[in-house]
Amino acid sequence: MIKLKNVWKEYPLDGTVFTALKDINLTIKSGEFTSIMGPSGSGKSTLMHMVGLLDKPSKGEIFIDNKKISDVNDNQLSDLRNEYIGFVFQQFNLLNKLTILENVLLPTVYLRKKSNIDFQKRALELIDRFGLYEKRHSYPNKISGGQQQRVAIARALIMDPKLILADEPTGNLDSKTGKEIMKLLTELNEKEKRTIVIVTHDPSIAEQVERVVRIIDGQII
Amino acid sequence: MNYFAFIVKSALFNFSRSKGRTFLTSLGILIGVMAVVLLTAFGLGLKKYINDQFQSLGTNVIRIMPGKVLSGGSFNGSSIGSIRFDEKDVNNLKRIRNLESVAPIYTKSIAVDAGKKKEDATLYSTSAEIFNILNFNAQSGKIFDKTDVDKRNKIAVIGPKIADKLFGSGDLALGKNIKIDSQSFKVTGVLESKGGGGFGGPDLDALVFIPYKTGFVFNTDKKFFIITAKGKENISLDTVKQQIQTVLLKRYKEDEFSVLEQTEILKAVTSIFDVLNMVLVAIAAISLVVGGIGIMNIMYVTVTEKIKEIGIRRALGAKKNDILFQFLVEAVILSVFGGLLGLGLSFFIILLIQKIFPAYIDAQAVLLALGVSTLIGVVFGVFPAKQAADLSPIDAIRYE
Repeated sequence: MIKLKNVWKEYPLDGTVFTALKDINLTIKSGEFTSIMGPSGSGKSTLMHMVGLLDKPSKGEIFIDNKKISDVNDNQLSDLRNEYIGFVFQQFNLLNKLTILENVLLPTVYLRKKSNIDFQKRALELIDRFGLYEKRHSYPNKISGGQQQRVAIARALIMDPKLILADEPTGNLDSKTGKEIMKLLTELNEKEKRTIVIVTHDPSIAEQVERVVRIIDGQII
Repeated sequence: MNYFAFIVKSALFNFSRSKGRTFLTSLGILIGVMAVVLLTAFGLGLKKYINDQFQSLGTNVIRIMPGKVLSGGSFNGSSIGSIRFDEKDVNNLKRIRNLESVAPIYTKSIAVDAGKKKEDATLYSTSAEIFNILNFNAQSGKIFDKTDVDKRNKIAVIGPKIADKLFGSGDLALGKNIKIDSQSFKVTGVLESKGGGGFGGPDLDALVFIPYKTGFVFNTDKKFFIITAKGKENISLDTVKQQIQTVLLKRYKEDEFSVLEQTEILKAVTSIFDVLNMVLVAIAAISLVVGGIGIMNIMYVTVTEKIKEIGIRRALGAKKNDILFQFLVEAVILSVFGGLLGLGLSFFIILLIQKIFPAYIDAQAVLLALGVSTLIGVVFGVFPAKQAADLSPIDAIRYE
């Protein structure tokens, strides 16, 4: 479903050119649970941003369902991020001024097409499923890190995306809560057949997934 | 929650978190809107006041003055002519059948002496017809008539303000003697009030009327500066003016006199106020621009503070225009908030000063104030909002 072909990413850095990604070729198939592993500075986050359509390659091409991303304009990219991809971040990235329920509903605000889906109902079901129903009208800074990450996962699921991208989802959590979050993601993959890509530097997490892509110095090894 | 509610809630949250900053930013717009609204209110009030005064003097009044007083619709002070009208002109004009009344006026500033008290006033030495022309009626006693003029009776009909100040009331003034330039006059009538306070032009309640033939003691060369006349009800003023013109041209050259309608004078007076007011409002509008710059400044700060949030929203599917719109709405709310406060404060101030100054505000001024503050929000908000929208999603979300 996602294919990276000869993807390079270069940044200008102190007058020289820093190469973050070197000639990456990667295919992620539907229903796969993939982990991108590497030490910090290896380029794994840059790779995830490419897959998540937040960044554009300097060279090479990204295909989503065989569609060339370089042919797609900014509005269409936004629509793809909105409907096709669900993001989960290390720092949760919830908006503190919105309630839990409103945070989960935030992606639906940017869906400007007509939809028959009752997002309110779906959001409440997701919140209930993750054990946060009592907290639905609380604000993010009033709940724990593990709870915040579950809200973020609920937000990632609200548009029913095909692909979930998680960038160090357990990085800011203690090991027990981290395990719970991993269990949740594994369930989403196994029971709902969602495609999941998780970026991590933690080898114990990599052990739990079916496919591991290792990256060092911007290259897949 | 729909799209718009989400965006407004974001903006309002921001304001509640930084109340002081929000208020100070709005203050710029508040002062600007207040300055514009108040100056407009003063201008409108003054214009209305002058209009009312002219209306109370009757609308089909014609004034005949020396020189070309009006040129191109505005006053032309330098060319007030040197001729003065005399009784012969008055008698010639009286032969025009379309004129209902003709009254010559000799006028001067005087001090009215009632023995114990003295009061400044404007003397009108004129014929009995003046009361019909200017719609003056007596509240006590009676106005003088043609016989009084011909007999050169030493009587005076005084304005209510003069009566009140010198004698306490109109009734008490009747039959009393007043002295003008050491000449003694008996008060035989006190006029009804015309109202108004005395902005621009003579106070209509502080006039002293005497028969013009009696007035020759002051007006020794028996000449008049103005002749007023009133056309008959159903005759067009243009026709009447034309006839007056024809009569006067027998004695004077075309550019030695003017025949003016009340409305022409009114237009000339109000056009002066219009220009003055426009200049003042334009100056006040500068403070609105300064207020707008304040909003732009604070919006740039807000955008910087929210870079991370912009990144998150972009990752969740917000388009550039969604971000642009979010910040524009915030700037407009800030600006309209200031505009509404300024408008409210203006209403309050106008209410307070209405007792001493005839200021008033109309719907047009209110709409203008709100329109302008919205426009300022959009104009000065669009640059920061554009900057926010053009941030690259990846740079924004990485921003700490």
